Amino acid sequence: MSKDKDILGKVNRREGMTVPEGYFDDFTAKMISSLPEKQKVPEISERQRLWFRVRPYAYMAAMFAGIFCMMKMFDMMRSPSADLNIDNYPAVTAAIDNGVLDNDIINSVDDNEIIESLYETGLSPEEIYTYEDSIDMCDSIIQ
Amino acid sequence: MAVEIPQEDAKLIARLQDESTCRAAFAEVIKLYSEPLYWQIRRLVVSHDDANDLLQNTFMKAWMYIENFRGEAKLSTWLYKIALNESITFLEKERKRQNISLDDQESAIINSIAADEFVDGDEVALKLRQAIATLPEKQRIVFNMKYYDEMKYEQMSDILGTSVGALKASYHLAVKKIEQFFENND
Repeated sequence: MSKDKDILGKVNRREGMTVPEGYFDDFTAKMISSLPEKQKVPEISERQRLWFRVRPYAYMAAMFAGIFCMMKMFDMMRSPSADLNIDNYPAVTAAIDNGVLDNDIINSVDDNEIIESLYETGLSPEEIYTYEDSIDMCDSIIQ
Repeated sequence: MAVEIPQEDAKLIARLQDESTCRAAFAEVIKLYSEPLYWQIRRLVVSHDDANDLLQNTFMKAWMYIENFRGEAKLSTWLYKIALNESITFLEKERKRQNISLDDQESAIINSIAADEFVDGDEVALKLRQAIATLPEKQRIVFNMKYYDEMKYEQMSDILGTSVGALKASYHLAVKKIEQFFENND
């Protein structure tokens, strides 16, 4: 190691390389004059600064709200609930299939026959009258 | 590890951050650091002209990104880092441009030491420059920083991002190789 120190000790740290005369003074002056102007950054108010900070969160919240509304809308546009489908009520389907609820049968029932049968079962004329009124009311609604 | 920022550095950094004083403060930075940075670059690239260009690039980059310097490290460490990156990038580009290997680049540097008009000194000094040029890049950087710049291992560690132990080992190896070079070229 003493030999290393001998070698390094023989050489001046600044020896071996030179620069043109006055180089560092010239360099400093040239460098300072060649520095470009700093571009002025527009002033940002505290309110804008706050908005810049919360902006990503606001955008994210708006995105989620949009997705939620879209899903809600699709849900509303969807076909009626499966629960209301006639296929889910086998008794009604069977009645239709068997012709129980056939319009012909319903239409063939005469109101007078019903009134007469009601009179025979012991209903008073006032009660039958009330019945007739309700029948008329139903007809007007249907029509 | 928190770096203790010297009082003078802190004042200069504060002026650099202030738009109204930043240009004058940066002129001071150039005056203070142009010479040490120049020598750091010059020892790596050897040629004065290349060192001059790289020094200009170093200060230009520092000027452009001075707003990003928050004073977590010493100003000198930050500038050394920029200068070192510029130098290493330059050497890599040169290698690619000339399509030569690392070993060939060492030979090219040795030749350019003798050819450069701004290289002088006696035979021993010239031989030492050539011995340094034969070192691998990392060892060359470490040796230059320790021997010529008399930099502390801690600062070198901040600049190079290498542990102090590894730097001591690199320096020791570099000195051994220089000794070997002198023995072989006696």
